Amino acid sequence: MKDRISALMDGELDDKSASELIGSLAHGSEHADAWREYHVIRDAMRGTAPLSEGFSARVAWKLADQPTVLAPRRTRPGLAPDSPRWFTLSAIAASFAAVALVGWLAFAPQQPAPAPVLAKVQPPVEKPAMVPMPTSANDYLLAHQGFSPRVSLQGMAPYVLTVAEHPAEARK
Amino acid sequence: MKLGAYALTLALISGAVQAQAPETLAWLRKMQDAAQKLSYTGTFVYQNAGRSETSRITRFVEASGGDIEKLEVMDGVPREIVRTKDTVRCYLPGARLVKVDRRTERGFPALLPERISAVARNYDITLGETRRIAGYDCQAVVLTPKDNLRYGYRLYADNASGMLLRAVTFDASGEQIEQFMFTQLVIGGVTRDMVKPRHASRNWRVEDAEAAPARANGWGLSSELPGFHKVVELKRRLSDSRPAAQMVYSDGLAAVSVFIEAVEGRPEPVRPGLASMGAIHMYTREVANHVVTVVGEAPAASVQRIANAVEYRPQ
Repeated sequence: MKDRISALMDGELDDKSASELIGSLAHGSEHADAWREYHVIRDAMRGTAPLSEGFSARVAWKLADQPTVLAPRRTRPGLAPDSPRWFTLSAIAASFAAVALVGWLAFAPQQPAPAPVLAKVQPPVEKPAMVPMPTSANDYLLAHQGFSPRVSLQGMAPYVLTVAEHPAEARK
Repeated sequence: MKLGAYALTLALISGAVQAQAPETLAWLRKMQDAAQKLSYTGTFVYQNAGRSETSRITRFVEASGGDIEKLEVMDGVPREIVRTKDTVRCYLPGARLVKVDRRTERGFPALLPERISAVARNYDITLGETRRIAGYDCQAVVLTPKDNLRYGYRLYADNASGMLLRAVTFDASGEQIEQFMFTQLVIGGVTRDMVKPRHASRNWRVEDAEAAPARANGWGLSSELPGFHKVVELKRRLSDSRPAAQMVYSDGLAAVSVFIEAVEGRPEPVRPGLASMGAIHMYTREVANHVVTVVGEAPAASVQRIANAVEYRPQ
């Protein structure tokens, strides 16, 4: 169902399927929330809409509360062996992640490619794949904070993030 | 004489950037002075849309001018960070681990006059509301970005001392992204004992970042993000002793770090994409068999643009 909602948003459904789905959504389908959320996410990603009071807070809260990896579905066994981190692909994530997926498959670690070629396959700025904080996030943050001019005004306060417990880690 | 030189610089900056009133720049300076000279202890709350965390921060300034600062997380596992003049130590009791990050250059980044000038180029600085916070009468200084490549800041400082009591980060639509706010603060009356780490960490594992200035040969940006310029380039170790290169770009107030490490030896598979936590965005991609991780307190699109500009040109 969520795939179909995503397809509808992308204009990929034929007229009949589209009107069926719209009818279903309009009549209080349980997927109406998904429909709204997908639009909220898409607008937020594009950064276009003027956001209402508390808007991004609500979205961010929901994202933070559901740290599901929006990442490509494993397409064949062995592609990412023993990795628990490849969760089911939702259709909306597919549209965000499609370009990243192309890059990922084409330039897997085993296949070094010269930089000029890579430079041409950059993901577009509008649609990044959303991923949870990497497990090394705190290392990067610790290394980064020391050079942030914020520290000269705020003292150590921003360092609180460098020892944050991330949801992904807490669940390990 | 130092003061005179500073006044002159400030005057020059004010002249060069006419839009900025001198008193607003003076407020920034006052906040920075307070952050360097005051001893204090207080409780502050960090808040973003998804979380809120309470910490205690204590700063002890020695008679000699040196200082020690300690941050203790009050919720969950009692993590601590202690900073001395040139070293930051993170005490992580859960993992019985001390992470050590030493500064190779002198001290920590100051908002130097040339940086204030960079800030004034990229932000409109105005005085905002006055408000009472944690018992202190505060003046707000508002830094509104001149483009959408950076966030805005509303900084509330104590009228009397210049101590920063609240810092709000907001996005292009004015929406609050995150904030730090003291809920209780006592200025003065701090002893050295109060900034000692509480953990007996003698038998804990130590991870030293061994940061040192170094060029990341062949690596760079095909184009810099407007307003952001490279301020430092170094090598360091991340956890598991993974060597990495770090390049830091700053617009005078916000900073974005680019980390480059080999794909081999990483503890987890590379997951290209964007992660966020409050005002911090982290974007990961792979370039020429290396993992590029870009981290900074800047909007997602800015972090992503810097990441996408990272390139390797074999020399």
